[in-house]
Amino acid sequence: MRKGFIFNHNKCVNCNACNAACTLENGWKVHPRNIFTYNSDAEIILPVINLSLACNHCESAICMQGCPTSALSRNAVTGAIIIDEFKCIGCKYCQWNCPYDAPKFDSESKTVVKCNLCYSELIAGGQPACSSSCPTGALSFGQLSESSSSTSFNWFPDKKLNPAIEFTHGLNKSPLKIIPENTFAQIESKSENTKKSINSEISLLLFSYLSTFSVATLISSFLKGKFTDKMIFIPVLILAGLISLFHLGRKARSWRSVSNFRTSPLSREIIFFIAYAVFSTITTFQHIPVLIIVSSFTGLIFLAMIDSVYLFSDRRKSIMFHSGQTFVSALLMVSFFSGIILPFIFIALIKLISSTYSLLSKPGGNVFNLRFIRIAFLFIPAMSLISSNFHNDIFIIVIFMVGEFFDRILFYIDYNPLNINILIREQINYDRDEKKRSK
Amino acid sequence: MEEFLTACPRNCYSTCSFRVQVENNRIRKILPYTGNKATPEGPCIKGLSYIERAHSKERIVHPLIRNSSGKFSLITTKEAYDIIADKLAVIKEKWGSQSILWYRGSGMSGLTNEIGSAFWKAFGGTTLTYGNMCWPAGLEAVRLTLGTVKHNVPWDLENSRTIIIWGKNPAETNIQEIAFIAKAKDNGATIIVIDPIRTLTADKADILFSPKPGTDSVLALAIARILIDSDHIDNEFIYKYVKGFSELERSLHISPAEAELITGIPAENIIGLAMIIGKNGPLTILPGYGLQRHQNGGQTIRSILLLSILTGNIGKPGTGFNYANLQSYVFEDLKEPLSYYPDMEKDLPFRRTISMTRLGTDMLSTRNPELKGIWIERGNPVLQSPDTNNVKKAFSSLSLKIVIEQFMTDTASMADIILPAKDMFEQSDIIGSYWSPYIQFKPRVIESSGEVSPESEIYYHLAKRLNLNVSNALIPEPGNENIERWLEKRISGIPEVTLAQLKLAPVLAPGLQQIAYEDMKFETPSGKIEVYSEDAKSKWNISPLPDYAEIFHSHDIKNFPLLLLTPNTGSRIHSQFGNLKIIKETVPDTVIHISPSDAESRNILSGQKIRVYNNIGELISRAEISNRVPSGIVVFPNGIWFHEGGGVNQLIDGHETDIGFGSAFHDNKVEIEKAD
Repeated sequence: MRKGFIFNHNKCVNCNACNAACTLENGWKVHPRNIFTYNSDAEIILPVINLSLACNHCESAICMQGCPTSALSRNAVTGAIIIDEFKCIGCKYCQWNCPYDAPKFDSESKTVVKCNLCYSELIAGGQPACSSSCPTGALSFGQLSESSSSTSFNWFPDKKLNPAIEFTHGLNKSPLKIIPENTFAQIESKSENTKKSINSEISLLLFSYLSTFSVATLISSFLKGKFTDKMIFIPVLILAGLISLFHLGRKARSWRSVSNFRTSPLSREIIFFIAYAVFSTITTFQHIPVLIIVSSFTGLIFLAMIDSVYLFSDRRKSIMFHSGQTFVSALLMVSFFSGIILPFIFIALIKLISSTYSLLSKPGGNVFNLRFIRIAFLFIPAMSLISSNFHNDIFIIVIFMVGEFFDRILFYIDYNPLNINILIREQINYDRDEKKRSK
Repeated sequence: MEEFLTACPRNCYSTCSFRVQVENNRIRKILPYTGNKATPEGPCIKGLSYIERAHSKERIVHPLIRNSSGKFSLITTKEAYDIIADKLAVIKEKWGSQSILWYRGSGMSGLTNEIGSAFWKAFGGTTLTYGNMCWPAGLEAVRLTLGTVKHNVPWDLENSRTIIIWGKNPAETNIQEIAFIAKAKDNGATIIVIDPIRTLTADKADILFSPKPGTDSVLALAIARILIDSDHIDNEFIYKYVKGFSELERSLHISPAEAELITGIPAENIIGLAMIIGKNGPLTILPGYGLQRHQNGGQTIRSILLLSILTGNIGKPGTGFNYANLQSYVFEDLKEPLSYYPDMEKDLPFRRTISMTRLGTDMLSTRNPELKGIWIERGNPVLQSPDTNNVKKAFSSLSLKIVIEQFMTDTASMADIILPAKDMFEQSDIIGSYWSPYIQFKPRVIESSGEVSPESEIYYHLAKRLNLNVSNALIPEPGNENIERWLEKRISGIPEVTLAQLKLAPVLAPGLQQIAYEDMKFETPSGKIEVYSEDAKSKWNISPLPDYAEIFHSHDIKNFPLLLLTPNTGSRIHSQFGNLKIIKETVPDTVIHISPSDAESRNILSGQKIRVYNNIGELISRAEISNRVPSGIVVFPNGIWFHEGGGVNQLIDGHETDIGFGSAFHDNKVEIEKAD
């Protein structure tokens, strides 16, 4: 029988005792337990529902699978997912992967901190601090029933991970009846994007873009049969590697990031980055045909691995066909640099379809302009390539490269890993529209 | 790690029991104590914060004296006692002992708080305050009607079919009650909240009635009329136990339509509510204290209490009018509210000339002798008393201000001398509760920080220096073992409770009625429930029957159209706890809440700084636009310190309630505008 958190939302009044107990008990600077409130703005047509959440110690612990340094592990006795803060490099990949917003980045220690189920307390026969400190008994910890009732919370994310949490009561859908009816104004909560941390990840943007450029120049110089570009791709690669370090909380520990090759796409990405760097450098100085082929392929796999890092955490498949992925971008660059028209047109068409779809389906003022420019900047090089005015026209090259850069920016804007905050917002918008329609 | 059982001594309904683990003289862990049936899940976030509070770096742990440059400097405890003793002696010599105001707040409860009284009596008496800022109008209303102030044990709430939470917000002020409300709901009860604002408690209810503030008695009286007319009353109960029903019946004239005009609640919904009350018992009413912080507060409580009486919802499981449960106050000779205004003769050598509500103006106008000094313990009147500007003025006029405090509060920062105050873990005591039925022991579990001395020891040393003739039986010698001996003797009048027993577990009050008034004995002059009370007329000059009096606004309502409500929030007990890091991080207070429509008409955006002002004061703070506030109302919680943008009492007039000498905090009008 599995143990986990048991939650009765009827008793939770958002007092945050669980949150405080968690932080006080563990002496943390951050707050791994939070209360997520559906309709926190108290819109009158919707009920207000609180949910106290930290880590649910999922059976299918996606955070643990994704962690490149194996800093996350499962405690055998309690089943708790525990972070080894000495192994954590502060890459925050677990934050992208966890839909419950459980891992928290401690800007002082530069590592991730998360609920450890107060496992030593648990082993000693005690309870997690949060559940033992809930003054109403809304949150408790104990034996979960076989059929978990988490499905009754429609905005509770990703039940497939099999989180160790159970809800004693389903959602009471009827909002509070208010008399007189018009007492309170109905101001809708602004559906402002709770911007994920990704947007601040400029170092990742540059790293992935430069890596794409590096691989593309390598392959195209191979296709042209001479390494005219070797002075470009090696410095670019070194630069990319250095820039990527800025993303890490603990740069000195970055060597650890290759240790979870078995399950972490991030680990694989870094291994292939190293492999590509080694092979391509040797190739530059030793023109052995096999090595050239090996390094080219390693480079492409490396890019595929970069893409897989994002696809892994994108469980809603919203970027699966995104035109800003590095692999596709590299192929386009190769065909552009090598002047191979047919593949170029084919790939450009695919990117065009994807970009146009994004342009039409996603709202947003500034982002709309960016999407528009991106499409335009695909057309201009394509035209010049077809009319063969191309080649050493630096202006066209710049336009092309800027276009690809914009596509990468758009990729980061569109990349929105599933998260409870997003789900609550979407659910409120949906329920509000439903209510209005039924009126 | 050592573990102790203790209880939270704050001015709060819950009075939680909890276990505390101590290691190396530090509070390490706070855990629930399941043996207390009222608080089995443990304390709230404020109780948990004791881990920080007890050892906070911001605690004052050495005596401080204001130096010539106006700043505080450290002095030794011995120096502090010498200086204080000298100054007290001089003041007494020159102007008499009653030129000192001995001010006591509600910061920490316990029997040891009485020790000061022995000191000041021996000193020759002082001036005291009368009344209370919190709840006396309601207490007096219940006392006049039922004779004693008590209610069923908290866990009996599960037996109710209808729970009306009237002007109370237990989600923030009595959180353990939420568990019983939820249980009742699981059992099929209907949960109704009556409150002008949509509180966190309302989120848990089925229906929220939002009447205009201060009109609750109209709503109650209209419902009473409907209940009588539709014969949804308990005639047998009324016949046997109620005095004054026929007078009531004759005087009750208000119709649902008239009530609608005053309360804003549509007539049909008033009738609907009356039908729930009349048909769907057992009914428990949970009235709050904010409800009676109006000039008509006493009559409001009497009016609402009528509904429990007329429907016979008193003295049975699942019923009651849970205003306060004073059954655990077994050691007090005089219970609240009478202790707030005792007989003047018996009170000598003290004189009570200063209303708690009008602290500043009364201090300024006191003569023969006029006030020269103030001694403040367990209180923060500069922040919490109405009419801040006059309170500050009165304070500034004094030549000696001694404050015993744990933190640099707004009151402490005005002191001449600050003595560090004990934390709850630093001295043993015995406490009751006004909600749960337990008497509890609160042991000393750690050594005092720095040079902290409990009040009892401060008084001991000062009595020695002043050569006061007072025995060790009244002011025990320093040392916790002496305090425990004193406690033992203090409670010996009630043989059913011993210190040894209390040390093991909380003790249910001797003579406790789990179902209050189940014997149908009412300690009123008539021995019956007095719907018609002659005492109400003779003592307070109000109608012997519950009625509605319109609220008087001293502010010009044209210029100040918004009503200011100043409730308590979950992050504080009045002005306590909000200064702690863990509280700031987890439950930060938004200072001013305004309605969307009032914000719109004044071009105010959420998060903007606004000026709130009326004819007596003004302050600038951040506003939040909230769907929880109806238009025409501004919500500004009390207890927020000045430097945090708080200090709502700058806008609050010192108006007393109709009975009980309470403070009508919620009768003030303001205007708001953008500050930048």
